[in-house]
Amino acid sequence: MSPGYAGQFFQPASNSDYYSQSPYIDSFDEEPPLLEELGIHFDHIRQKTWTVLNPMKPADGSIINETDLTGPILFCIALEATLLLAGKVQFGYVYGMSAIGCLVIHALLNLMSSSGVSYGCVASVLGYCLLPMVILSGCAMFFSLQGTFGTVSSLVIIGWCSLSASKIFIAALHMEGQQLLVAYPCALLYGLFALLTIF
Amino acid sequence: MATTAAPAGGARNGAGPEWGGFEENIQEPLSSQGGGSAVIDMENMDDTSGSSFEDMGELHQRLREEEVDADAADAAAAEEEDGEFLGMKGFKGQLSRQVADQMWQAGKRQASRAFSLYANIDILRPYFDVEPAQVRSRLLESMIPIKMVNFPQKIAGELYGPLMLVFTLVAILLHGMKTSDTIIREGTLMGTAIGTCFGYWLGVSSFIYFLAYLCNAQITMLQMLALLGYGLFGHCIVLFITYNIHLHALFYLFWLLVGGLSTLRMVAVLVSRTVGPTQRLLLCGTLAALHMLFLLYLHFAYHKVVEGILDTLEGPNIPPIQRVPRDIPAVLAAARLPTTILNATAKAVAVTLQSH
Repeated sequence: MSPGYAGQFFQPASNSDYYSQSPYIDSFDEEPPLLEELGIHFDHIRQKTWTVLNPMKPADGSIINETDLTGPILFCIALEATLLLAGKVQFGYVYGMSAIGCLVIHALLNLMSSSGVSYGCVASVLGYCLLPMVILSGCAMFFSLQGTFGTVSSLVIIGWCSLSASKIFIAALHMEGQQLLVAYPCALLYGLFALLTIF
Repeated sequence: MATTAAPAGGARNGAGPEWGGFEENIQEPLSSQGGGSAVIDMENMDDTSGSSFEDMGELHQRLREEEVDADAADAAAAEEEDGEFLGMKGFKGQLSRQVADQMWQAGKRQASRAFSLYANIDILRPYFDVEPAQVRSRLLESMIPIKMVNFPQKIAGELYGPLMLVFTLVAILLHGMKTSDTIIREGTLMGTAIGTCFGYWLGVSSFIYFLAYLCNAQITMLQMLALLGYGLFGHCIVLFITYNIHLHALFYLFWLLVGGLSTLRMVAVLVSRTVGPTQRLLLCGTLAALHMLFLLYLHFAYHKVVEGILDTLEGPNIPPIQRVPRDIPAVLAAARLPTTILNATAKAVAVTLQSH
C-alpha cells in the first residue's frame, strides 16, 4: 500500500444491519401477523357489517374506498352453507350470479354516475349487502318459504339488501336523488338470490 | 512493441498464416457477423486487443467460435428458407410470409381502433341520465295511446327504463318458471329467460327499424329500442298477475286490455312518423302482431301449470331433478304427520314414507 494512495477502502457493513433488511432471513418474531399481511382486518369487516345491518344509519362514503373482498366471500360461503343445509347444492349458481350481477351493476353505475367506480368496490358493497339474504336462507333451513309468509319475508329482505346497497352507492358516488334508480337493479339482483333460496 | 510481439504471437498461436496483422483481424469479425455490416461490434474489441498476446489469443478463439456459430446460423436460416411457408419454398415463401405479417399487423391495428371506438361505454352515457320522476311518468305514458297522427309524436331517447323493464321481464319469467316447476332440458332457466327477453327486445327492434327504413318512417334505432322497451311494461304487468292467478279467462282479458293498450301506444307513435297508408299498415301491423304474439308465447311456453298431478313416485330412487307433488297435505295426512309446510328434503322423505 503506497502512502500516496488516495482511494477508498471498501469496509463491509456490519452484518446485523444487512441481514435484518433482507426479507428472506427475517427473524420469526419480527414478522407481521398473517391476517395483517393478507390485509384482513376483522374489526373493519365488523364495522361494515353493522352499517349494512342497520339500513337507517347514514352511510359513510369512505367505506367504498376500501376494496375488501374478504367479508363478501365470507358471506357468500355462509349463504352457500345455509343453502347446503337446506338441501340445495348451488355453489356455482351463487358465484356465477354474483360475478355477472356485479358486472352488470358496475356497467350501470359507471354509466349513471359522473365519477366512475371500480369493479372491486361494486363487488365489495354488493357482497356486504348480501348478509340479510343469509338470514333468509337460514330461515329456509327450518321451514319452506313457498307460502305467503315466505313471499312477504323475502320481499322485506330484498328491500333491506337493496336499500343498504343503494344507500352506500349514493353516498360514495354523490348521486343524490337517484337512490331509487340505483336500488331497483340491486333489488332485481337480490331477487335472483331470493329465488335461489326459496325454490 | 508490436513488431517484437508479432513473431512471438505467431509462435505462441502456432499458426503463422492465421496471424495476418491487425487489419485482417479487424475485418474477420465483420465477415463472421454475416457480412456487409459497417458497424464494428465493440464487444469483440476490448481495450487491450492487439496489445498483448493473451488478449489476441482470446480474440482469436472468440472469432473462431463466432464463425462456427455463424455457420450454424446460416445453415439454420437456409434450412428455414428452404422449409416453406404454407407450402411455398424459397423466395415465394419469404414473400408470402412478409405479406402475411403485414396483413396481420394491419388487421390488428384496425381491430384495436374499432374496439376502442365501439367498446367505449361512454357513448351510452347520455342515455342513462334520468330522474326517477321521469322514468315513472314514461312508464305511465307507455300505457296511454295518444291519437295525434299529423305531427310526429315525441319518443324519449333513453335506455335506463327499457333496460330495467327487460331485466324485470327476465325476473318475472324466472319466477314463473320456478313456481310452475318448469324444467328446461337443453340449457338453463336463466339463460333461456335472458335469451328470450333480450332477443325479443334487440331483435324485434332491429327488425322494425329495418322495416321503418324500408317504409321511410322517421325513427332512429335508439328511439325504436326505447319505444319497444317501454312497451314491455304492459307485458310485465300481465305476466306478473297471471303467473300468480291461474285463470285463462283472466289472462285473455289482460292480454287484450293491457297488451292492447301498450301496442296501440306504439302503433300510434309509428303512424305519426310514417307517411302513406300502405307503409303504415305494413309497419304497424307487423309490430302489433309481434308484440301481442310475444305475450301469448310467454304465457303459454314458460308457465306449465301441473295441476295436482304427481309426476314421479319412484320410491327410494328419486332422481335429483324432480317434480315434487303439489297436494302435500294429503301425503302428510296419509303418513299421519302434522300438516305443516316442509322443505324439499322433508317432502322427499314424505313421498318415500307414503310409497312404503
